[in-house]
Amino acid sequence: MRLLEYESKEILSKYQIPTPAATLISKGGPLDIKGPVMLKSQIPVGGRGKSGGILEASTNDDAKTHIEYLLSTPLKGYKATQILIEEKMQVKQEFFMAVTYDTVIKAPVAIFSREGGVDIETLAVREPGKVWQEPFSVRSKLPQYRAREIISETGVTGGHLLGLAAILSKLADIFLDYDATLAEINPLALIEDGRLVALDCHLEIDDDAAFRHKELVQLGEDQSRFEASRQVTEFERKAAEIDKIDHRGVAGRMIEFDGNMGLIIGGGGASLTAFDAVRAHGGAPANYCEIGGNPSVQKVAELTKLILSKPNVQKIAVIMNVVSNTRVDLVARGIIKGILEAGKKPSETVAVFRIPGAWEKEGFKILTQYGVTYCDRTVSIDAAARIAVENAN
Amino acid sequence: MGEFIKVEIDLSRCAGRKKIVEWVRVCPVNIFKMEDKLPVVVEENEDECTLCMLCVEAFPKGAITIHKLYEA
Repeated sequence: MRLLEYESKEILSKYQIPTPAATLISKGGPLDIKGPVMLKSQIPVGGRGKSGGILEASTNDDAKTHIEYLLSTPLKGYKATQILIEEKMQVKQEFFMAVTYDTVIKAPVAIFSREGGVDIETLAVREPGKVWQEPFSVRSKLPQYRAREIISETGVTGGHLLGLAAILSKLADIFLDYDATLAEINPLALIEDGRLVALDCHLEIDDDAAFRHKELVQLGEDQSRFEASRQVTEFERKAAEIDKIDHRGVAGRMIEFDGNMGLIIGGGGASLTAFDAVRAHGGAPANYCEIGGNPSVQKVAELTKLILSKPNVQKIAVIMNVVSNTRVDLVARGIIKGILEAGKKPSETVAVFRIPGAWEKEGFKILTQYGVTYCDRTVSIDAAARIAVENAN
Repeated sequence: MGEFIKVEIDLSRCAGRKKIVEWVRVCPVNIFKMEDKLPVVVEENEDECTLCMLCVEAFPKGAITIHKLYEA
């Protein structure tokens, strides 16, 4: 879950990280501009500055015009319902700092750069010496002396080193305390009077840890924070409820389409590949969805029933990459159970079943028992999609 | 009853034993529960059985039998 900028900055303030003086305003709210300000659309996406979501104003009239524009103009699929009005800072230098999780070394990692306000991935490739990163332990956290070591590697010295290290250490505390997957301040500005101020902040909270942060869950469910250009359909809402049945795996990240081919496909790149392949072979998907991480049989069964409840869906294609973290037999059980509970025959409903991987022999036994033809890993995702489209026709 | 898995308990091998609650808790997908101080199978959970065999190891020898109905 991505927090909005002002929500992230409220958390920064709790940890004594300075942010610009600010006011949050909704449509028709009173304005009292007394100098140059930045008007910032509160939407959950990055790159707002480049795409016109952040504007500058110096007078009430300017601000009023800009706010009306920002509140009425969709940006990257979202429309703001709130604008953050911030004092414009006189910036001398910008820095970048972030804490995220390295899934390879399985540890949080602190990242710092002397160049802020930039795309850090591009900078790290172009000038790797300007970006420094170090992993740290979740037990010992990131004490200030460690933060100083990281920052000094980029050539920062003197008084600013101490100030920057204090902020990076606190950012690491926020990352751990809030179960974040990303805590980023970009840019962190050194302003004319010598203070360090967080001009923008991006906090992303791990959805799987949401139960530990009830107040953030309530925020996430608040539909008035911003408007999404595309509203969640009843079908998608039901799929999300299925995913909440238990903690096991994912089965329910659904996007509804108007085709007739139901899809139960593996998460990540494989699901996009499968979806595109079905379309490329002339199929019309009824949905996009993701399953993975070993969802329970019940979740897969409920998801199957939901997809089959669409009046125009008679066939479903079950396609995943070679899986190691999802059991083929448990998915096969869920698919067949869902089809049977929907009052249909598995052999006539599954257009293709292509999930090779963990426990595939057991899975193939189940599919054989119910007359479902399946593909092993010698059949590519693209070929499986072609088979599905042919069987559906 | 499960569509794919059926779990049977031979209660004669469990009666009077002190560790029944521990054996019941060993299942990661809650296929067992206690009823009148005896273990019983939660039928609606049978199809979630991951065939981990922890119950077979935990319960007294021969007390648990797991049937794969799709192999019948």
